[in-house]
Amino acid sequence: MTTIIPSSPPVVLQLDRLSRRRAGRHAVRDLDLSLHAGQVLGLLGVNGAGKSTTLSMIAGALRPDSGGIRLCGEDFLEHPELARSRIGWLPERAPVWAELSVSEHLDAHGRLRGLKGGTLRAARERVLDRLDLQPLARRLAGVLSQGQRQRLGLACALLHRPGLLVLDEPANALDPVQAVALRGLIREQAAAGTAVILSTHLLAEVTAVCDRVAILHDGCLRHDGPVQADDHQALERTFFEIAMHGDAAARAA
Amino acid sequence: MSGVVAGTFAVARLEWRRMLVRPLAWVLAALTLAWLAWNFTLLLGGFLAGQVQRAASPDGPGFTDLVAVPLLGQLAQLSFLVVPLLGMSVIAGERRNGTLPLLFAAGLPASRIVLGKYLALLGWLLSWLALTLAMPLALAHATDLDGGKLAAATLGLALMLAALAALGVACSAFASHPAIAAAAALILALALWSVNVGAQMAGINGGVLNWLAMSTHEQPLLRGLVSTTDLAWFALLIVVTLALASRRLDNERERG
Repeated sequence: MTTIIPSSPPVVLQLDRLSRRRAGRHAVRDLDLSLHAGQVLGLLGVNGAGKSTTLSMIAGALRPDSGGIRLCGEDFLEHPELARSRIGWLPERAPVWAELSVSEHLDAHGRLRGLKGGTLRAARERVLDRLDLQPLARRLAGVLSQGQRQRLGLACALLHRPGLLVLDEPANALDPVQAVALRGLIREQAAAGTAVILSTHLLAEVTAVCDRVAILHDGCLRHDGPVQADDHQALERTFFEIAMHGDAAARAA
Repeated sequence: MSGVVAGTFAVARLEWRRMLVRPLAWVLAALTLAWLAWNFTLLLGGFLAGQVQRAASPDGPGFTDLVAVPLLGQLAQLSFLVVPLLGMSVIAGERRNGTLPLLFAAGLPASRIVLGKYLALLGWLLSWLALTLAMPLALAHATDLDGGKLAAATLGLALMLAALAALGVACSAFASHPAIAAAAALILALALWSVNVGAQMAGINGGVLNWLAMSTHEQPLLRGLVSTTDLAWFALLIVVTLALASRRLDNERERG
């Protein structure tokens, strides 16, 4: 008889006492967090809690003051080039090169991520189809609506099939239909083994797509636990307690 | 390593594409080339008008001295305005649009981002030089062109454009707004060209100020004299300014 021992999915991302000061204050302080392949982690927090700073550091756009980031077991700060193939990042407000068309935009992103030739073309067509951007392929990125830009940013993040998807408020400016489609897309990525970390202000989004939720307050991790899909109220209670009472709530938790 | 090289070319290609779809590059190319073409016809007219007198002195200045090199000299003058305008937004524009983090997140070292931007700008400027050079070269079959002198002058112009481009990229890396980058690049380029004017007026032809001045190293090349000291001066300026730009971008990634 053969016994199959189920192995837990590999750790894709490991943050170790990650800290970063911004504008003279601690934007992120001693943040410990890990994320497994196929897991979706929701990052919650009020404005200024340190969500975007954390995601920028994970994406490689910002260096931490101290602490470590390990990506699939490798030291990301020692090897920032790992970001190229392994991380897909959608920054807040999805900045674009306004002069380029949607297609050119994807090509530029693909080349920056090391794709070329037929692989690049195939990847571009795949994400254009998946994000319903095919009708906009020749349109200049600068004239897109915010929702369309958001979809273009998502397409860029998915282009090179990264193992870690970092999404900073991905549902911003999306209409309800697109927001539901986004949830489907995130779950689809997770099912394919991609680790997803997303920051949002929408608690409903967290309960709908996330396996785990981490709540930041004043740059510190105040809560990290599984999400119960049917218990939106419990998450709401935890979030508001931390948001309103900060340290006291954290101590109680 | 090859990934980083490919990344540099990806940045260069992206910048080149952005430059080509922006009206500024086309307007500058059209206006300056029209101006240079007009001056070329004037220089050529003057050359043809004086051809009879010059026939008496076969060792006197020819087509290269009277038409080709002065035309390149005019391009050199225009470059003080054109390069800062073209280079102003290569990094400052990205910063303003919020797209600079996209390049950082591609895992490229700051030096490669700067190099990619620089290569794109240099590509445009060398194309501009080639189109200008095509005017005297078009008459090569009908004139007695001094190939060596023209090659030295072209090398001098190429180095000057390369140095000004590096200065433009560095100013763009330091400035928060493209207009500030353009103004800073213009002022620094003019200062670098004429830093020795006071010394020369005082009759001093050596010294640090003369060595610092770009004109000291450019004018011999335009006259057909190539020296390693001048080549090294341009190489040093390019390396130092690009290194400063890279340092600035690195700091930005550090500080956010």
